[in-house]
Amino acid sequence: MRNIYLIARREFLSYVATWGFWLSLASVPLFMGLGFGLPMLIENSQPTRHYVIVDESGGQLEQALVDGFTRAQEQQIAEIQEAVTEMVGDNPQVQQAMASGMMQQIGDGRYQRIDLGLTDLEALRPYLLEEQAIEIDGEEASLFAAVFLRGSVENGIEVDYWSKNRTDSGLRSSISRALEDYMQEAHLLSGGVSPGLLQAAEALEPEVRELNPERSGADATVTDAERIPFIMGVAVAFALWIIIFSVVNMLLTAMIEEKGNKVLEMMMSATRHYEILTGKLLGVACVSATLLVFWMGLALGGATLVQQAAASADIPVAEIFSALLDPGLLLPALGYFVIGYLMYGAVFLAVGSLCDTIQDAQTLMSPIMLIMMVPLFLVMISADSPDSPIVAIASWVPVWTPFIMLARLPHDPAMIELVGTTLVMLVTAIGVIWGAGAVFRLGSLNQANQETIKGWFSFGKKA
Amino acid sequence: MPETILELANVTKTFKGKTAVNDVSFSVERGQITGFLGPNGAGKTTSLRMSLGILTPDRGKVTLFGKKPGPKALDRVGFLPEERGIYRRMKVIDVIVFFARLKGVEAGEAKKRGLKMLDEFELLHAAEQPVKTLSKGMAQKVQIISTLVHQPEFIILDEPFSGLDPVNQKSLERIVRAQADAGRTILFSTHVMEHAERLCDKILLIANGTKIFDGSVKQALGEVPRRIFLETVSEHDLLALLDAYGDVRRDEGGDDAVRCWSLDLAAGADAQDVLKACVDAGVKLTRFEPVRAHLHDAFVHLVESAGGKLTETTDA
Repeated sequence: MRNIYLIARREFLSYVATWGFWLSLASVPLFMGLGFGLPMLIENSQPTRHYVIVDESGGQLEQALVDGFTRAQEQQIAEIQEAVTEMVGDNPQVQQAMASGMMQQIGDGRYQRIDLGLTDLEALRPYLLEEQAIEIDGEEASLFAAVFLRGSVENGIEVDYWSKNRTDSGLRSSISRALEDYMQEAHLLSGGVSPGLLQAAEALEPEVRELNPERSGADATVTDAERIPFIMGVAVAFALWIIIFSVVNMLLTAMIEEKGNKVLEMMMSATRHYEILTGKLLGVACVSATLLVFWMGLALGGATLVQQAAASADIPVAEIFSALLDPGLLLPALGYFVIGYLMYGAVFLAVGSLCDTIQDAQTLMSPIMLIMMVPLFLVMISADSPDSPIVAIASWVPVWTPFIMLARLPHDPAMIELVGTTLVMLVTAIGVIWGAGAVFRLGSLNQANQETIKGWFSFGKKA
Repeated sequence: MPETILELANVTKTFKGKTAVNDVSFSVERGQITGFLGPNGAGKTTSLRMSLGILTPDRGKVTLFGKKPGPKALDRVGFLPEERGIYRRMKVIDVIVFFARLKGVEAGEAKKRGLKMLDEFELLHAAEQPVKTLSKGMAQKVQIISTLVHQPEFIILDEPFSGLDPVNQKSLERIVRAQADAGRTILFSTHVMEHAERLCDKILLIANGTKIFDGSVKQALGEVPRRIFLETVSEHDLLALLDAYGDVRRDEGGDDAVRCWSLDLAAGADAQDVLKACVDAGVKLTRFEPVRAHLHDAFVHLVESAGGKLTETTDA
């Protein structure tokens, strides 16, 4: 035990002293920040596209376009308001901010209509080809598109969309949608449908209630909070996969470095190979636990801050943490993490002991990586179809069990499945760790290398 | 009778059908410096690994301090492997303390001893430096300190002189001698005979996985025929004259007037008798040079007698 503790401690301190550890620690808040900030940055950095409309129909189609754009913008604002209300509740501060005109800026402001006083294509062509610049607020800009509208609803509407840009299709689509709506509406009106009837028809939508057959009456209604355990199950399965994947890679690279430094035989004269293996696994597990605790603390702090910032916010923080800390999910998650980590960690350490360089390791890692990728897809499938036969069968594959069963736990799988898959996984884990220990011993003493492993899988081939 | 520290009894180890160590038996007694000699690939490292329980023999028995090698016994052993290295990013003193603690030394005591040894090895100034900043010679000294810091009763050094320059080799010899003077038992493998000849009380010679000699340096030298070089200016035929004293050869060299000979003395024959026989026969000698045998000669003789090859042997 003394040596296991000393090795684990040394491993932990050696990781904590590296830049990689601090980068990993900062990576989650950094990526979260990027996740929020980057779309805004991209949105703000988009250039304004200036376009002209030449309406050869006498103004009717131009007006239809303006109406269509206004309607689309209003619809977008309404959707955002609804989403915000759903997220933070009827917060007076938020409602005030939305009412104060902030929302008016929402909409596709990237496309700005201008009037150059030109109606002839040949006159506009130099601007479209950027041979001539337009002037907007005293600054030079280029003309993005010229849109020629002609025809009528009765005889058909034609739109000529002139632009050098082949990829930005936003304006073209908006014009097409607006005119399509206008044509359909005009067609119905000309067929005798009253404007009131048309408006009423557009406002029609069914009321869909999701009900739980295990309950009755008003209690039968399924709330969003009830969905949280299922979401948490999948989220925890993904988190488990990410943690195991990143941690075992740390083990692999450290092992290869240690072998390159020729420390292992010195270590093996002081302690036994299984103590080295266990110490390393524990040391790196402590590193990942430190990362996890920090990230969870950060998430908790962030959620509390959001809660305080919007006094009456309706974020189901309590439900999320209740689902996350539910012993029915938390305890199996811990168990699956330990077993999954030990299985994969022992294998990666054994592979590392066989290799002198990362390049050597890549050959052996490829099949293991493929095996590790599979549960990622199966967890996604299980989110929608936890009772899918593929998911049910894959749950019995011991190296996938920790991830898939975690995602399935909130769906209350059969006890036989729960116990059976866990037993198979435990027995396999013991076998894998024992085998990895034997390979580690051989690899550490240079009595085996990646060629040895390849040889095990080349049955029947001549040497 | 001295206590037996290590004993290998009829030990055999095979890797992928190739026998690395074949039915080898030997023992190491307390207080001795034992040299474990043999050409490269003879089975020295495998034998040492089995001695510590790092490898398990296929057949035979290994006892260390009277028991099967185990964690408690390892705490009493200091092992410097042939393939040696230390954590390059750790500080020198931290590496020493880490290995000392693995051997059961308390942290404070480990640091105290480590600093004292660094001072003795003139490396105190580097105590807080990362190992990667040290020269190769300095790093090897740190490895040796890490091997000795827990004051082991039994020290095993696998090719300790390899990779060291002559100055550091001399320095290591002094360290080995000092450890022996402090009452430690030492077993070291080498194929550099000069070190073994200067340091060892006893040598074990192994070739092709088989032990071919086990005894004192004097006994090993006794296995080599002593040689006498002679040069004569008379017409006497020494082949006939000295045949009774050993194996006589006419050597190349000399000229019409001077003839060169060499004689490998037979067991029990004496150089003085040879000289007397020459004088009595009226041989005109211009050179009579008995040569002292070295361990290298014994090594070559014993290995070749056992049918071994020396093609891989260097630094002889």
